[in-house]
Amino acid sequence: MADQLTIRETAAPAAGVRVPSVNIYAPQWRNFVFVAPFLFFFTTLLIFPLFWGMWLSVHKADTFSTGRFVGLDNYVRLFHDKVFLQSVWNTFYFVLLTVPTLALIGLFLALCLNRRTRTAAVLRTLFFSSSVLSVTIVTLIWRIVYIPNVGLLSTIYGWFGATAPAFISDPSLAMIGIAIATIWWCIGLPMMLFLSALQQIPQDIYEAAALDNANRWQTLRSITLPSIKRTFILVIIIQIVLQFQLFGQAWLMTRGGPNNLTKPIVLYIYETAFRRWDLGMGAAASEILFVLILIAAMAQYLVTRNKGDQA
Amino acid sequence: MRMKTTLLAAVSASVMMLASPGFAATELTVQRFFGACDADFGTNTDVAKAVGECGIITSMINKFNADNPDVHVSVTTVEWPGYDQLTAQFASGDAPDIVTIHESVLSDYQSKGLLLPLDDVLNSVGVTPDSFTDAARNGVTRDDGKIYGLPIDTWSLLFHINMDLFKKAELVNADGTPKLPTSVDELLAEAKQFKEKTGKPYFVQPTANETANLAWNLYSYLFQQNSDFLADPTHVKLNTPEAKTVVNMFRTLYADGNITPNLDYGTGINAFLAGDGGVHLNGTWVIGDYTAASEKSGTALNAGGYAVYPFPQLFAGDKAQYADGHTWAVSQKDRTPEQLAAIGKFLKFFADNDFEWSRTGHLPAYKAVLASDAFKALPHRDTLAPLAALGRPLPSAVQRRFAIQDIVGEEMNAAETGQKDTDAALTDAETRINELLANL
Repeated sequence: MADQLTIRETAAPAAGVRVPSVNIYAPQWRNFVFVAPFLFFFTTLLIFPLFWGMWLSVHKADTFSTGRFVGLDNYVRLFHDKVFLQSVWNTFYFVLLTVPTLALIGLFLALCLNRRTRTAAVLRTLFFSSSVLSVTIVTLIWRIVYIPNVGLLSTIYGWFGATAPAFISDPSLAMIGIAIATIWWCIGLPMMLFLSALQQIPQDIYEAAALDNANRWQTLRSITLPSIKRTFILVIIIQIVLQFQLFGQAWLMTRGGPNNLTKPIVLYIYETAFRRWDLGMGAAASEILFVLILIAAMAQYLVTRNKGDQA
Repeated sequence: MRMKTTLLAAVSASVMMLASPGFAATELTVQRFFGACDADFGTNTDVAKAVGECGIITSMINKFNADNPDVHVSVTTVEWPGYDQLTAQFASGDAPDIVTIHESVLSDYQSKGLLLPLDDVLNSVGVTPDSFTDAARNGVTRDDGKIYGLPIDTWSLLFHINMDLFKKAELVNADGTPKLPTSVDELLAEAKQFKEKTGKPYFVQPTANETANLAWNLYSYLFQQNSDFLADPTHVKLNTPEAKTVVNMFRTLYADGNITPNLDYGTGINAFLAGDGGVHLNGTWVIGDYTAASEKSGTALNAGGYAVYPFPQLFAGDKAQYADGHTWAVSQKDRTPEQLAAIGKFLKFFADNDFEWSRTGHLPAYKAVLASDAFKALPHRDTLAPLAALGRPLPSAVQRRFAIQDIVGEEMNAAETGQKDTDAALTDAETRINELLANL
């Protein structure tokens, strides 16, 4: 209240007297109060755990004690662990399987559904609806599809007297099975991002192309795709960061098997830290995942910055 | 006047509540697995009417609450086995008072000083360790000679047998019992004969998303060969001729189509119930369900009957097979004498009613129940009684047994299904487990 009075007094100068205006953007300590709640949670839930994780990764720690300093031992152990190296490869393989597919199918769906018809609206809703499901429901649905003998796939193959591929237990198919479930689950977001990008392309460019007798392929190649290039890069980067963190689908569908071929880094971290109680080594694996995701995020930053410079 | 009366009444009520703490029931928090079945048994206190692990344990706790108005037990149900959650609870100082823990996992928590030794509590209510079966007593006693869990059962993997298919395969003795193998060669020959006569695999075994089943099989047949694979509890020896024999046996069975491929735990049960194989390698806990199925006309198990046996003795060594057990363990924390007395009452209730729990299919943890006519009258218990002497856990000082089990199971699975050479799988299992044990 006192502040309000002060401002009113300052804002009503005597006639003819020039009062210096108040710079409302000038730093004032009391503004800190407005960001304090955010800063508190940001520091305690993100910054502190980030550095604590780094500290743990150089200690011999279990769930009930923080133990002694071991330097880089945990990292050395990790790189001697075949299962960890396998999990890094598995994660990259999964990203390779899912990200391009998500981007291409998302783009294809957006191109097909970018129109003002009722059917398109219904289909957009349908394709997006899987994204709102939790990972538990998604994996349950896909387990019912893949399950041997009584699953949907087995039933369909059974009609033709054939044996369905064992997507949960076949070493060469298990990761592909998880990737299919993930693409079905995650396709909504890329489709929506592409749709919003497509709707921002000015119609007059298409009209000009039509006047020049451009066919649909030429319009797509010369107008549509160049116009959504930045969105395409954004989708790729978002999906790389998301899919690097694969956990729920692998845990619930295959438990990382068979023969550790579907064990991603996050599942390795979970098993090491919480089932084996080797918190130090789990933290070290987390740091490596952090660096991998950081590289992906930096790539996003660099790519978008360069595009900005060119513009 | 009315105000004054109200005030006086409120003060009197408060004084009475403060002055008579004996009226307040002692609260105990209990955490368990075995599933949730409140819709069927949430209010049932007639334990005899309950069936299945979940039904019986829910009804037993209901009955305890009804019989003991001075104690109130509130229950949290966790997904099996619930150790990740329990570890987090211990780490945050918020562990439940009483919790279900496998005998094989007691060492992990006991070695960190997180569990209360129960000797004094059990003595105070008249439950003595000499009333436990040998398997149960070994399972809950740690190296310091103290007891860290109240045993409620002993469980193991068994040969669940579809007698209809065994008859078709001509694998039945003159007395009507199934003909079980006495050596590896005999097992391979009988499996071959079974396949030829029935067109189906001898074994129904989960190999997808499954590690425990394979590990328990390996442990059992290593015991039967007197293998000292964990003589040193901090160093495993798995790259041995004994382990190779077992793994190669399963590998041959799988390669020859004598083990159902691609099944996980749930589909394995369905496959056996549908008559897709002769022997289901599963635990004591499914006896009740399989017996019920065998009594229902039209089912695969009703056609020729259902039998269940401990593992056959395939080797010349000890008569033994891997066993574990469920226990009630108590978290270590400061408690009042009333709280300790309430815990004692709860544990005694379960010790006294172990027969009810043995209806699940698990073997009782008490000699008196094992010898009782009521227990012997339960279906198939005559063939399973030897398990009390056969059952053997891993050495009590071995820690992280669930993690070890996962590693053994993963590597054995890879070898059995032909994804890895037997030697490579056993070498990797040994290396991984020893790395784990060297960094406890």
